[in-house]
Amino acid sequence: MKRILIIDDARDRALWLKASLELAEYVVVGALSWDEVDERSIQAAAADVIIVDANAPGRDTLEQISLMSRTLEKPVVVLRAQKDSRSIQAAMRAGVSAYVSHDVEGEDLSGIIQVAAARFAEHKRLRDELREVKDQLEERKLVDRAKGILIQRMGLDEAEAYRRMRSMAMNRGKRIAEIAEAIILSEELTAK
Amino acid sequence: MNTVLTNRIAGSDAPEIREIRVGFMPLTDCASLVIASALKFDEKHGIKIVLSKEVSWAGVRDRLIGGELHAAHALYGLIYGVHMGIGGAPRAMSVLMTLNRNGQGITLSGELGKRGATSGAALKSLMDRDRRDLVLAQTFPTGTHAMWLYYWLASHGIDPLNDAGIVTLPPPQMVRSMRMAKVDGYSAGEPWNSLAIREHAGFTVATSQEIWPDHPEKVLGCTAEFAKKYPNSSRALIMAVLEASRYVDEMENRDKVSEIIAGEAYIDCQVGMIEPRMKGDYENGLGRKWKDPDCIKFCDQGEVNFPYLSDGMWFLTQFRRWGLLKHDPDYLAVAREINQIELYRQAADQVKMPLPGDAMRTSKLMDGKVWDGRDPAGYASGFAIKA
Repeated sequence: MKRILIIDDARDRALWLKASLELAEYVVVGALSWDEVDERSIQAAAADVIIVDANAPGRDTLEQISLMSRTLEKPVVVLRAQKDSRSIQAAMRAGVSAYVSHDVEGEDLSGIIQVAAARFAEHKRLRDELREVKDQLEERKLVDRAKGILIQRMGLDEAEAYRRMRSMAMNRGKRIAEIAEAIILSEELTAK
Repeated sequence: MNTVLTNRIAGSDAPEIREIRVGFMPLTDCASLVIASALKFDEKHGIKIVLSKEVSWAGVRDRLIGGELHAAHALYGLIYGVHMGIGGAPRAMSVLMTLNRNGQGITLSGELGKRGATSGAALKSLMDRDRRDLVLAQTFPTGTHAMWLYYWLASHGIDPLNDAGIVTLPPPQMVRSMRMAKVDGYSAGEPWNSLAIREHAGFTVATSQEIWPDHPEKVLGCTAEFAKKYPNSSRALIMAVLEASRYVDEMENRDKVSEIIAGEAYIDCQVGMIEPRMKGDYENGLGRKWKDPDCIKFCDQGEVNFPYLSDGMWFLTQFRRWGLLKHDPDYLAVAREINQIELYRQAADQVKMPLPGDAMRTSKLMDGKVWDGRDPAGYASGFAIKA
């Protein structure tokens, strides 16, 4: 069974990846942050495969450790947070960093990469979705506040207040949240 | 070459691909690539340079090999290291041109300075008196900064492999690591040496031009496959970057160049961090100020850019010296494979950039040793301190 080490500063992503790999019955020996990476910690982990984020500047640190100590020469699987499966394929081809060593079979690795890459992408998708939901909530709050201002100032009913904001947004090519924000700002300005 | 010339006359030298994705690391010596794009020297030659800011040299290498980047601003030694399979599977690589000479440096911590290590010789005598674990950082195991650091230490009688701990760090972490006393100094490009001075964390103990006056530094690198498959695009790219190099090299343009490359999309720092050293206004952080005529050079009428075989071979001699190569390679043959002199010549002709008469040049390094490319194996084995 291949022992896997994950190096990732995004703690939640590292844990997510760890859980996913363990679910696929891989052995994950640890999850380090880049600050913790040195010859000693890599040695101590005694991993067969290392998984890192392609966009981590710390990757060069790992290069030196692997090069200077032959026993620490490990295949490094490089993952990128991308959504479409085509780029996951590309990452799988190009992603196993230059120093693939001898004692890990390609098939072993491709299994790990498949699980890891899919999970990595999934994590990004979930995070993006979460952010979108949060943004939508924020926007709705803004719109509600702006509606309240219009109702109070101009004596409009709720539907009419919303209709005016929407038509202004459409005419100006802006999002309704932007119009709402402008209304709130002007209210704050005149209130002072 | 004849067919190429005929084709050119026949008008079929149009770039095979017009959009060329070029990676760069946010360092001052990415200037000619940025300017080639920002001032549209690329359009003039029928191509569009699409710049991509990278975060690690390992990433630059992988993305070149994976084809996501067509070409990149790269450490000279990195291209040679990949070609030789150091630290990984070998992959045939090409150097299209040299981007710059000089302009790097070695920084030591303020703490070492306080203890008297204000020069290489003083560092050596401090280590002799008070042996302690010195940890120094460079930017990539086969990179130029590693080679400058090792050469400088060894010239002062310090064996980089046995007397010091060597680590690789991303440059943006260098100053912080020095403050946390994780490292005692580092070898890196700019603005990272200037930053240590500005932050009162360290001082410049040596500039790279003191180690090797007019040393080659970054190159425009790509895979051999790219250069072979797209010779016209490669040539157009060289032409665009040569013209940009000529522009960047003019001292009166360096204010403007500094302002552009300091921008958020590129180095993303205050102009004041890069402009003085770009113009040769040096200070070492210990009170010494000087005007350096050997500050970073980008063109020097093409003298900088010609891919001298002896420059490439020098990195092989140092790989051999430090045990990164276990055997002597065919130094000259390797340099001829990698450095695309023919493509460069054609491009230089087109933009009226003078060419040197010889593909070798003679240099004298800080320890007095002369390197002219003539006896690489003898040169590599002739150092007192080596692996």
